[in-house]
Amino acid sequence: MSDVLLEARGIVRLYPGNIALKGVNFRIHRDKVNVLIGENGAGKSTLMRILSGVEQADDGEIFLEGQPVRIRSPREATALGIAIMHQELSVLPNLDVAENIFAGRELVRGRTVIDKSTEDDLAQRALARLQQRLKVNRQVAQLSLGTRQMVELARTIAHGARILILDEPTSALSTSEASALFRVVEELKASGVSIVYISHRLHELLHLGDHFTVFRSGQVVGEATRAQVTREWIVERMSGRPEEKTLNGAKLQRGSEVLLEARGLTLAASVGDEAAQAPVHDVSFSLSKGEIVGIYGLLGAGRTELVEALAGNRKLGRGEILVRGKTVRIGSVSDAVRAGIVLVPEDRQRDGLVPDLSIRENIALAATSGPVVSRQKELERVRSLVRELRIAARDLELPVIALSGGNQQKVLLARCLMRDPVVLMMDEPTRGVDVGAKTEIYRILRELAARGLSVIFTSSEIEETRLLADRVLVLCQGRVRIELQKDELTDEALFAAASPDVVSTKSTVGVHA
Amino acid sequence: MATLQVLTRSDRLASSSARTVLLLLRARALVVLVLLVIVFSALTPVFFTTNNFAILTKHVALSAILAIGTTFAILTGGIDLSLGSVAGLSGMVAGLVITSYHQGAFAAIVAAILVALLVGLLNGFLVVRAGVAPFIATLGTLYMARGAALLLSSGRTFPNLASKSSAVAILGQGAFLHIPVPVWLMLFLYGVAAFVASRTPLGRHIYGVGGNERAARLAGIEVSKVKLFTYLTSAFGAALVGLIIASQLDASHPATGESFELNAIAAVVLGGTSLSGGRGSITGSLLGAFVIGVLADGLVMLGISEFWQMVITGAVIVLAVAIDQFQVRLQARLLPFLLRSDIEAGA
Repeated sequence: MSDVLLEARGIVRLYPGNIALKGVNFRIHRDKVNVLIGENGAGKSTLMRILSGVEQADDGEIFLEGQPVRIRSPREATALGIAIMHQELSVLPNLDVAENIFAGRELVRGRTVIDKSTEDDLAQRALARLQQRLKVNRQVAQLSLGTRQMVELARTIAHGARILILDEPTSALSTSEASALFRVVEELKASGVSIVYISHRLHELLHLGDHFTVFRSGQVVGEATRAQVTREWIVERMSGRPEEKTLNGAKLQRGSEVLLEARGLTLAASVGDEAAQAPVHDVSFSLSKGEIVGIYGLLGAGRTELVEALAGNRKLGRGEILVRGKTVRIGSVSDAVRAGIVLVPEDRQRDGLVPDLSIRENIALAATSGPVVSRQKELERVRSLVRELRIAARDLELPVIALSGGNQQKVLLARCLMRDPVVLMMDEPTRGVDVGAKTEIYRILRELAARGLSVIFTSSEIEETRLLADRVLVLCQGRVRIELQKDELTDEALFAAASPDVVSTKSTVGVHA
Repeated sequence: MATLQVLTRSDRLASSSARTVLLLLRARALVVLVLLVIVFSALTPVFFTTNNFAILTKHVALSAILAIGTTFAILTGGIDLSLGSVAGLSGMVAGLVITSYHQGAFAAIVAAILVALLVGLLNGFLVVRAGVAPFIATLGTLYMARGAALLLSSGRTFPNLASKSSAVAILGQGAFLHIPVPVWLMLFLYGVAAFVASRTPLGRHIYGVGGNERAARLAGIEVSKVKLFTYLTSAFGAALVGLIIASQLDASHPATGESFELNAIAAVVLGGTSLSGGRGSITGSLLGAFVIGVLADGLVMLGISEFWQMVITGAVIVLAVAIDQFQVRLQARLLPFLLRSDIEAGA
């Protein structure tokens, strides 16, 4: 029996304006934890979507147990014993826990009737293996993000997968949930499940991994076994250069003038399909001219909620926002823009770009100030921003989706800058952009800050937070855990502050006295 | 610690009354129906009579049968606007088969249902394969089916069907155990539909697709087949209604079923099904159809003008959706409390 359970050879995947995978070879070793590392946009998730039948490769072959296989749908992947837990949660919010676990593979009696009681039973057992005490008849819309993920994991377990792909499974989990997950991973490995594990958290990978594969810009740039791997090896392979300790760039000219002040910002939690929102409790901070403040926290810590409230996109429960010392009432996005606060959203496909419009139109969208738009002036302004941000576009009249992720991000940045903001906010500034564009976005933010703009960014990446921020607010369960100055920023400090401690992990529904 | 306990106790109180309010909101179609029956019975003595209920249920059966397919379509996040026209078309097909081809009632029924299913297939194809938004796709087939119905007879009526095939009368005018055949049909179809919705994989897939289409696809649910099913069901129901009407009138008229789709949508929405999909129930739609039927019937008995009836019905529909939104918001607000009391109860 070969050590290699699944092998992918020469996998190519093309996206419009971007080659996601450039002929990748990847092996899944039997009964091992196969770790996949790489920056956002390096192609890890794309490869996993191909292996799980969600997407099709444009070229290349896949061998399972040495036999060529074609995986054309999630259903075929399941039939081959390949299960994936996606990075974005993919649960059916309006169904209950057991129904989710058996979605698409219902147990039936007499070929028509769902055997609900057996389903409930098996679901309960799968959850028990994950050490989850959860009612199987609870509607999933009512569960926290972390618990929803456990439901997804239970789904893969219940169907006896022999290859289990975990795409950043811990990004939403609390420390205790994560260590429960590690136990499960170890146990599954021992019981003969081969695991593919994708994560950004190096300590997790070093703890769990047996085989390591590093991706960069759609290629495999390194392979090694646990014994050969060190932290430095990973970082160097990932970034293609020795680890940077600090970011060089424009020296900031920080004035003492406070541009933005937030006092006691509070948002109530809500649970629902669309309106799911983590709570934010009593967050206060100030932002000086030319300063870059990072907001770091795990998924569900309230990062997005906080910046979206400042941008007028979410209703503030309580609290006060002052711009240049004057209280402003922000009830809508246009209120925020008028006050000089703009946001580049986290999910640019959903909340940012208008895919059918051209690059120029996307930048100029909503930038009109008077009743009549001067096309000439607008075009000049757009052109100067395109030059300044180095947006790589042959023609500004091309549809915006022709651009790579990094350039799309710059388009949104340009749109925000069209409005002459005082405070620029970016929610996950480098999500889904390649390494080169990442460094460039950092440089641009630095330059903008040096020219007197104040910048707030949120991030779930420790490195990014450490490199970019002058000061960091660490959010944990909606509260500011700690405020760290530039010289206090270490991976350990950030991680420790962001992780909920064991005692309070259940307190998403607890009483805050 | 003392404040903590006080807090939780008041929370628990809040949650128990909240539960009651939520329960009432969820069962609002039933609540409204019972209230309407009580009010109309008090205001007019002829309302609460067997005779009136027989007429009432016979009327309600039509929109209720149409509402089944509509419920499925809406649950998946779609809609079917074509079913009124499909009802008209299938009646005409039956009339044509009997009048021009001299066939019996059975052949006419089969032909009518087949033609309707063809339109349903077209709807499904447009939505699933061609990627046309359900609203537009079925708006298109609404016109096409109505046009086809008119073309079949150059706009004329096919009269005196029963004189050519005596079995025609059974579907619309027959009765079994003093209960009209259409009402039996309605009860049977609702039984089947409710069973499919709650007990079969297909039903669960319908809810899944409406809840999160992407996740449903990733879970291996065949989204296209599920959607196709809803449009076929909808067309099938429309065919039955068209046939029932033709049988009741003893004639098929090409304008039959105009704006029936709106009645069906109204019944579905009143029954608590969300237009964005994933939430709602088959039995709710039945109640919704009865609310509209009872309202119309009662207002007629009170001598209120037809014009005012329309105004009142419209207001009830809008109110129902507003209450639906209120329920969703209330639920989201109260959920943390409800969950907490669950945990304290030792869940």
